[in-house]
Amino acid sequence: MSTWVILRREIAHYFGSPFAYLIGFAFLVFTGLVFTQEIEVVSTAQTIANPAIIPTTLALLLVFIAPLLTMRLLAEERREGTLELLLTAPVPDGAIVIGKFLGAWFYYTALLLITLAYQFVLAAITQPDFGHTIGAYLGIWLYGGATLAVGLFFSSLTENQIVAAFFSMITLLLLWLADGAGRVIGNIEVARVVRTLSLQAHYAPSFGFGLIKMEDIAFFLGIIVIMLYLSIRALESARWR
Amino acid sequence: MFMSEAIMTNILRQSAKLCGIVSLMSIRLSSVIDVCLTAIRETSTIGRRVDSERKMIEVDKLTKRYGSFTAVDHISFKAKKGEIVGLLGPNGAGKTTTMRMLTGFMPPTDGSASIAGFDISDESMEARRNVGYMPERIPVYPDMTVKAYVMFWAQLRGERRPSAQVNDVLQRVQLYDRRNMLIRHLSKGMRQRLGLAQALVHNPPVIILDEPTIGIDPQQVIEVRETVRMLGKDHTVLFSTHILNEAEQVCDRVLIIDKGHIIAQGKPGELRDRLQSGAVIYVEIGGTNADAARKLLSGIPGVTAVEKQGAGWLVKSKRDHDTRAEISGRVAKVGYTLLEMRQEQTSLESIFLELVGKDST
Repeated sequence: MSTWVILRREIAHYFGSPFAYLIGFAFLVFTGLVFTQEIEVVSTAQTIANPAIIPTTLALLLVFIAPLLTMRLLAEERREGTLELLLTAPVPDGAIVIGKFLGAWFYYTALLLITLAYQFVLAAITQPDFGHTIGAYLGIWLYGGATLAVGLFFSSLTENQIVAAFFSMITLLLLWLADGAGRVIGNIEVARVVRTLSLQAHYAPSFGFGLIKMEDIAFFLGIIVIMLYLSIRALESARWR
Repeated sequence: MFMSEAIMTNILRQSAKLCGIVSLMSIRLSSVIDVCLTAIRETSTIGRRVDSERKMIEVDKLTKRYGSFTAVDHISFKAKKGEIVGLLGPNGAGKTTTMRMLTGFMPPTDGSASIAGFDISDESMEARRNVGYMPERIPVYPDMTVKAYVMFWAQLRGERRPSAQVNDVLQRVQLYDRRNMLIRHLSKGMRQRLGLAQALVHNPPVIILDEPTIGIDPQQVIEVRETVRMLGKDHTVLFSTHILNEAEQVCDRVLIIDKGHIIAQGKPGELRDRLQSGAVIYVEIGGTNADAARKLLSGIPGVTAVEKQGAGWLVKSKRDHDTRAEISGRVAKVGYTLLEMRQEQTSLESIFLELVGKDST
């Protein structure tokens, strides 16, 4: 019930604020450009169009967009003092964090659904493998949830939105680069651990080709759960200051 | 013919019986509904376990330490239903910390407290449901409308269909006409009233207001004080201030708090009587010079001090000595003129300064 109240306010905020629309605009312009380029290459080089082109592009784009979407979630509450009222409302701390997270994920889902329009364009000019599309979209949806959870966690630590965005961007970038790092590390065991932690390694070789693997789903859901748990603890710590 | 008449009367009789049964049943039904309603009322957490005699706020040796610094040190007090209690103290005395513990924002280091019979640590959710809280700096979401904001807090505090309550409370704080305005466009005074609306919307038995009159214009200060007085009729109000005459005007009871301790408490009038060390009389004498007047006044039995104030003198005397007759008698006897004589009221302010000063030295 209280999670729902928080979630509804977050959704209203996302769809009512010009900033979120600006991010949505940039998101769609970028994905649109990538898509047209792909079509152009396909039509001239006579190769098969990749139906996962948008989700695969998003894997990198989310490193920068997720922190922008989540930086205000808790940092703003802390700065405006509304956190004090939230924490004195008869609501468990978890409901606040989960409501906020679901709000951000909902907004991201809406953006993602809009990019499905490109799939219709693709279907009109070629015969895409819809299994591939569905796998890739499911993957990037979970991947997005994980990046948003990381962003929410950093937002719960500070009252400065820029600081929150900066640290979550760095963290996500490191997680993204871990894949490349894993490739150059000599020690196979270490390399495997590093690669297992990377976001990219759980998307590109599986979801990116339309493969749905349980371990990848578990990885992204695991990140979400851990980050939400840490956010709740960070919120609790606000009570001790 | 006969037959049909017999049948008719029979039917009538039967139906009358039926009606009787139905009406009996409806009585039963209504009593059943009554029982259910009482049961529901009893299970609902708002105001449960509380009758008018119960203490709405009970604080027992409440303590908050930050590392080695003790912000609130073993304070205890109680407040009844319909009582307005003022927490009075200088900045940093521990007023806000006390309120934050009572509202469930921060856990106490030691001691316990309960709101409407619910322990703030063990039954935190129920305790929080019974409190309306307005922090010192009004927390707002600038991008929300007035109505949506109040609605949000009502729903978060478990009100299912708060629309009517929201309209009602907005009318009470005179923001109904601005219900569709964005909060960012509200003036400071309106934000203050919005903060109040947010604290009242779920009709909590206990209302906690942290410095509700800070930073608003004098007209609005008067309005807020009146509102607090009005709230005191059906709610228990705990409010903090560092303005002494505000506490004196508004509160039924004042707790003077300094450095985390309650250093005095009681009704404003009582406090004054209890702490007043003696009577102070202002006297203005004509037809003499200062030295002679001072000598004359100091010579009166029971007088402890004579101080120059403006054109006249402040004569302090022991608590049980009424020196007025003696003063006028002596002045007349030596041929001076008594221009003015009045009893000075010791304000809560001077008591307060005296107490706080004592504590710090």
